[in-house]
Amino acid sequence: MISFRDVTVTYPGGTVGLDGVTLDIDPGEFVVVVGLSGAGKSTLVRSINGLVPVTGGQLLVDGVHVDGAKPVQLRRLRSRIGMIFQSFNLVGRISVLQNVLVGRLHATPLLLSLVGYFRPADRERAFQALERVGIVEKAYVRASQLSGGQQQRVAIARVLAQDSTVILADEPVASLDPPTAHMVMRDLERINDELGITTIVNLHFLDLARRYADRIIGMRDGRVVFDGTPAEADDAVFEEIYGRSLTAEDVLSAEEEAAQQEAAQKASASGGETEPTRKATRA
Amino acid sequence: MTTTSAARATAARPARPRPRPGTYIAILAVLAITVWAGLGIEFDLTPLWTDLGRGWFIIQEFLAPNWSYIERTIGPFIETLSIAVLATLAGCVIGLGMSLLASRVTTSNPVLYRAAKLFLSVVRSLPDVGYGLLFFALVGAGSLAGILALIMFNIGIIAKLTSETIDAVDRGPLEAADAAGASSLQRARFAVVPMILPNYLSYCLYVFELNIRASVVIGIVGGGGIGSSISVEFARFNYANVSAIVVLLIVVVFLIDLLSQSLRRRLT
Repeated sequence: MISFRDVTVTYPGGTVGLDGVTLDIDPGEFVVVVGLSGAGKSTLVRSINGLVPVTGGQLLVDGVHVDGAKPVQLRRLRSRIGMIFQSFNLVGRISVLQNVLVGRLHATPLLLSLVGYFRPADRERAFQALERVGIVEKAYVRASQLSGGQQQRVAIARVLAQDSTVILADEPVASLDPPTAHMVMRDLERINDELGITTIVNLHFLDLARRYADRIIGMRDGRVVFDGTPAEADDAVFEEIYGRSLTAEDVLSAEEEAAQQEAAQKASASGGETEPTRKATRA
Repeated sequence: MTTTSAARATAARPARPRPRPGTYIAILAVLAITVWAGLGIEFDLTPLWTDLGRGWFIIQEFLAPNWSYIERTIGPFIETLSIAVLATLAGCVIGLGMSLLASRVTTSNPVLYRAAKLFLSVVRSLPDVGYGLLFFALVGAGSLAGILALIMFNIGIIAKLTSETIDAVDRGPLEAADAAGASSLQRARFAVVPMILPNYLSYCLYVFELNIRASVVIGIVGGGGIGSSISVEFARFNYANVSAIVVLLIVVVFLIDLLSQSLRRRLT
């Protein structure tokens, strides 16, 4: 359970990131936060694990205050909140397995971790996490040698290895091509389904939001301007959130699932032609 | 769209800004200081040709190195290499620790960070010969004085270069480690160190090159190794022997530089 109570975030420069946000996110929800860049969606997600300090109001994760938490408390809290980033944020020069083991650091005694030793149980969890995202064969490959989509899967494995109850994803697919973006979103969806981990994802593509979210939160100027189901979030609602009419850039363009791509290959002519028309009507 | 581009085209080009008077004042000041410094020490180039012949017999001895002396320098040369290896190893390990303390990225505590920066400034303020003399006074002549002097010299260089590399590191993986609940030491071990490792190792090899050269000078002031041999032979006016050492030194330094550079190229 994540509760925002009139939460305000003001950056040192005076920029307002969040302006009196109040909302509750229940365990196991798959929430997608949408809004233009600068609307505060990144601030919202980053305030939950204290990467962005809250300057006003109360923010509780499973009953623990994030606002005003001391460094030790914050670290304990963060160990239960995994995070996925737009640029993957892997250490390129170490192996995939080592990167995933970063998710076990919080449970590893300092001296052991400094000499680079992880206990067998922790290594086992890292391997399980890699198996869950289907990339275990790359365990001993340098992270920098993987493609963007593979790197983001390693980042998801790092979060899984953490054994967190919440996953935050800050624009997780913004650096990926459309098919890979769908693959990563499906991984997140599957993890949310199978493990019941609360998942909060920032996106700016409205088609992705509608497709994967249980609940959509629209942000504008640091405020929540929409909170509802994907079914309620029609184009008019998105135009309201974005404060402008929708354009082709607001959709990822519908690269479909691998299964559907295979189906499309059988009827490639019709499949290829419907795409542009749909985009054109949206724009 | 067309109206805005038309408006842009008709906008007047700005006049070239006049050079600021500060530029001229700065140039004049530099010239004035240079002239003042030259006058202050009565700078004069004439001894270059009036006194040139005086040392001619020394130069003649230098031009005829005593090759038979070389085999007796092998021991001191090995000592110099050993001094350089030990000092590089110790200096680089301590330097890495200091560089982690002397970067805002890895040390969030402002007091600790400032203290580390100050300590390193003090360490760097003394040159290698200065440390040679200091440790000669503290522990007497010999390789220990040389090693200790070079360690201090290495800490200063390694910590300066490495902490600046840490400052410029990609913050993304650090943020990820933070978000995973890692402590700052764990973050340094798993995110910072892997990212700076190629640069750091390159600095270590560079420092090793410097140590070979510096250990000669430090040896002259009492730090052991080949520098001591040079000092002794100079004192005995055996310029042919000094010349032999210098020739061998040039070869050794050249070979080590080649080796080190090819290793460094592979690192980065």
